[in-house]
Amino acid sequence: MKSLQIAASGMAAQQTRVDVISNNIANMSTAAYRPRTAEFSDLMYQQYLTPGTITSQVGTVVPAGIQIGTGVRPSTVSMEITQGALRQTEAELDLAIDGAGFLELTLPSGEPAYTRDGKLNRSATGEVVTMDGYPLADGIVIPEDARRISISRDGEVVAYFADEAIGQPIGTISLVRFVNEKGLEALGDNMFRETEASGPANRLVPGTEGVGYIRQGFLEDSGVDVVKEIADLIEAQRGYELNSKVITASDEMMAATTRMR
Amino acid sequence: MSNAIYASLSRQQGLMKEMQVVANNLANSSTTGYKTDRAIFAEFLVGTGPSQDSLSMGGLAGHSFKFEQGDMNFTGGQFDLAVQGEGFFVLQTEQGPRLTRAGYFQLSPESTLVDPFGNAVLGAGGNPITIPAEASQVSIGSDGSISANGQLVDRVGVVTPQGELQRDSNTMFSAPQGYAPFEEATVVQGALEQSNVMPVLEVARMIEVQRAYEAGQAMLEREDQRINQLISAVRER
Repeated sequence: MKSLQIAASGMAAQQTRVDVISNNIANMSTAAYRPRTAEFSDLMYQQYLTPGTITSQVGTVVPAGIQIGTGVRPSTVSMEITQGALRQTEAELDLAIDGAGFLELTLPSGEPAYTRDGKLNRSATGEVVTMDGYPLADGIVIPEDARRISISRDGEVVAYFADEAIGQPIGTISLVRFVNEKGLEALGDNMFRETEASGPANRLVPGTEGVGYIRQGFLEDSGVDVVKEIADLIEAQRGYELNSKVITASDEMMAATTRMR
Repeated sequence: MSNAIYASLSRQQGLMKEMQVVANNLANSSTTGYKTDRAIFAEFLVGTGPSQDSLSMGGLAGHSFKFEQGDMNFTGGQFDLAVQGEGFFVLQTEQGPRLTRAGYFQLSPESTLVDPFGNAVLGAGGNPITIPAEASQVSIGSDGSISANGQLVDRVGVVTPQGELQRDSNTMFSAPQGYAPFEEATVVQGALEQSNVMPVLEVARMIEVQRAYEAGQAMLEREDQRINQLISAVRER
């Protein structure tokens, strides 16, 4: 009985959807988190009678035939490209990206990783690092005696020293853009890795060629819309129940068959 | 076996298949661009000679799609497209062009518009659509024209099939008799067309199928009893 497996695939699909939604809700306060959506597509169709089969000598054909579907599967779970709201924090090393683009980090392995979470800190050596201690690939080191740091919209970092009115540039922060951001691989800890699908990383000056600007003293909030997630959750739950009803009905049909004799 | 058993078995087999159709519809109630399937039953006659008794059986003869518009789900995604009213997007697959209503598109690393499986979306001219990589704002008009940073780039092709469509997996359809451009199509950016499965109707149909199946089963049992009684009656004489 095929309908059992078909309904099971439907339940599995709705389960995937609930998993994705629960992860979105769990990350409703994660800085710069982008909500994910699960998309589904139907499985192959079993051909019982191919449309276009000739049915008579005068050339009449079967118009629609008999094709019976075999269920559903998740086709993609990818992030929505949304801009989270910018929240003012006034902290010197809190950066938000207003528009497209990512900050580039260097992982301990030496590999690059990308993030939109601009909650940065100063390490013991003065290096600008993320909350997990990974340095920015731009290699910004803040001198120990710097009184104040100013970061311009296009990424220029200027340090002000105690007795000087004019600051000294100490580096620039660039932004990285990908042709297909949905193709990035999520590493957890708000980081992403480049893949075949995302295309190569393209390092740009903030505000040029379609990348956004850097906003000092702001953080990007999570892009999760909780109301939408809850509505989706209800839909997924009902979808799950509907598919379980199919299983019950198919089971009862099978029971009717076995009761015979 | 008696003809009554044959006739009722043909119905039971058809109902099993219809249950699969209903199950597939319900399983795809969240699939973007999915179109509801319907099973069509037809009678076929066995033994239609002049001196024979004819027997009528019911069998699954075909199926039809319900092409009604699904609800629009506004996602705001830049490359989430939906067709309002008639028309299909065209995808270039390894098996040839395929039509789809599921406009969940994104960019490939080469900056061409593709579906989640990497199949290129074809433009009005029948070629893959390339979006300039540096474009920060891509807007797609209701006639499908794509502009990036204010410059017209291409147009999303929307077509109507000629002749019947055949279902393929991944919410794609193939049009064995080809397709023609459909100029009056309305494309909506930032929306996805949801599955047009109506759960209420499917559940009602499911109950109907289940009950009909049980009725058929009861009919088979009765027929079995009748034959049994006949045999014992003959034996007793």
